[in-house]
Amino acid sequence: MSMLNKRKVNDGILQGITYGASFFSLFVLLAIIGFVFVNGVHLLNWDLITHNYTAVSFIADLKEGTGPGNYETDQVFAEGTYYSDKWGIALADDTNVQGKNVVLVVYVNPQSPFASLHDKGISTVPIPLEKDYEIIRIAFDGASSALSVQGAQNMITILDGQNSFRELEFSTSGGGIRGSIITTMYLIFFTLIIALPIGIGSAIYLNEYAPNNKFTRLIRLLIETLTGVPSIIYGLMGLAIFVPITIQLTDATGGNIISGSMTMAVILLPIIIRTTEESLKVVPDDYRYASLSLGASKTQTTFKIVLPNAFSGILTATLLAIGRIIGESAALVFAIGTTIKDTVKITDKSASLAVHIWAMMTDEPANIELSTTIAIIILFIVLTLNISIKLISKGMMRKFGANA
Amino acid sequence: MMTIENKIVFDIKNLDLFYGNFKALKSISLPIYEKEVTALIGPSGCGKSTFLRTLNRMNDLIENCKIEGDIEYHEENIYKTGIDIIGLRTKVGMVFQKPNPFPMSIFDNITYGPRCQGIKDKAVLNEIVRTSLEQAALWEEVKDRLKESALSLSGGQQQRLCIARTIAMKPEVILMDEPTSALDPVATAKIEDLVVELKKNYTIIIVTHNMQQAARISDKTAFFLMGEVIEYGDTSHIFSTPDHKKTEEYITGRFG
Repeated sequence: MSMLNKRKVNDGILQGITYGASFFSLFVLLAIIGFVFVNGVHLLNWDLITHNYTAVSFIADLKEGTGPGNYETDQVFAEGTYYSDKWGIALADDTNVQGKNVVLVVYVNPQSPFASLHDKGISTVPIPLEKDYEIIRIAFDGASSALSVQGAQNMITILDGQNSFRELEFSTSGGGIRGSIITTMYLIFFTLIIALPIGIGSAIYLNEYAPNNKFTRLIRLLIETLTGVPSIIYGLMGLAIFVPITIQLTDATGGNIISGSMTMAVILLPIIIRTTEESLKVVPDDYRYASLSLGASKTQTTFKIVLPNAFSGILTATLLAIGRIIGESAALVFAIGTTIKDTVKITDKSASLAVHIWAMMTDEPANIELSTTIAIIILFIVLTLNISIKLISKGMMRKFGANA
Repeated sequence: MMTIENKIVFDIKNLDLFYGNFKALKSISLPIYEKEVTALIGPSGCGKSTFLRTLNRMNDLIENCKIEGDIEYHEENIYKTGIDIIGLRTKVGMVFQKPNPFPMSIFDNITYGPRCQGIKDKAVLNEIVRTSLEQAALWEEVKDRLKESALSLSGGQQQRLCIARTIAMKPEVILMDEPTSALDPVATAKIEDLVVELKKNYTIIIVTHNMQQAARISDKTAFFLMGEVIEYGDTSHIFSTPDHKKTEEYITGRFG
């Protein structure tokens, strides 16, 4: 009886440990996701995705012959938006994509002097103040400047009390990740173009053609080992080999998207080879025998029967690869660089989404909020990819299950 | 006792086969006659399936498999260097134990072989599909659903589809490796009828574990034991008055 009780207690303790362990992992994962959401979700909006990162600033004053007048409008503005009949502009307080408080241009009357301003910079072409621009300050002769930190209402009040101004500083709204999204897409595209043919080709060789000998086993061992190499080492290799190659062959002057794609391709090869090989192994030998016995050559069998039946596995490999490309940062810091770009050129420095986070967190001060917002976007993409993989492999099991 | 002999298709002389160091076939010598059904019987692991696969060189796919001796197909040794293996396999087709249609449409299953040989003409392919399915006694059942997946067919239909797929290559010999072992009695009866029907046009070599089946459908029977052919001759003779005691014991179910 006591023996039984003792066993019960032991079983209970061990079970308790496994329950505890799984709850702990679940808790940690949820805490991370929760942290990311709490910090980042309020900055999540469409503007973040479509906007440029770099804000362009302008300094302008009134064009000759223009000035205040009566610019009444039929427009109806929301509460918190202030319109000046005298100057024909509407301003409002807002936060930009980076989470800073700004005075935003809501409306500019087409007849208003602000619709066409004199550029105080080098350009002689008149510049317009447009909707969604941010006003930084307005300076006057003989009066104190109106600053954005004082709010939109204050700015309109000061403006209404003046008949001209000396200098207007405004900027387009920046902080967007459009360029980094484009870079990431280029990176995915070029990496897959390089890695898929080589990876799938190697997998076909290893699974269909390679004799089962020491040499083949050595190749497999090496590929397995490569999976475990830290990506920063691949990054160094990219910097030492692929960057110089692309500099030689293109107009690149340093790390660029092509050298980054080559580096990513090398990182992904072991993953693609292994996943593809697994999917080739799942194709029943019955199909190969049937094909060969019908007088098909080995190559015909491989490409007409085996490969199509391994398609879902290869798709899984591709999705895994895309997830890895989106998530990789360490290797890319070396192989592409960390310069966030709005105009993306494949032979130029650029930053992917993950590197974008890295760049912002190494900025002074670090922008944790915007970083976590980008993290939400990355998490969302990775989650979507993983669910797709699950669905595809389910479909694959059903397909072969029907034949078993 | 022997009936008037047909032409010899395969002439096997002193065939030895090794899997590594294991000798799986020991000096097999026997002729296979044209347009007859030859049944290979014997207990599991006796080498009959191995022997069958040597005839279209499917044993090439097994590692460490080594062959000594001659297999002459129309007086040409199929193991001499430089032989056209693909050509041989189009002449000597094979039907497997488990129905193994490709996971594609019925139509594509039949046309797979001809397409691999470079036949692209749609009219020719349509004709091949119809005649092959007719010969395999499957045409009436599937003629309206040729575009459907072959996996939607029943097991027996799948096996007849595999036979049709082999016939589509217009072979001379059809090798069958226990083609009914995965099927129910009704489907088995249909395949047996089909084999008897196909004998008019094809030479058939069939491995079977079913004594009644061998007795019903074959003209010649070879009894394999431990990699050796113990007895080979007319089926009627082997099943009524076998020369060897072992043969009699096996046929009457005393071992195996």
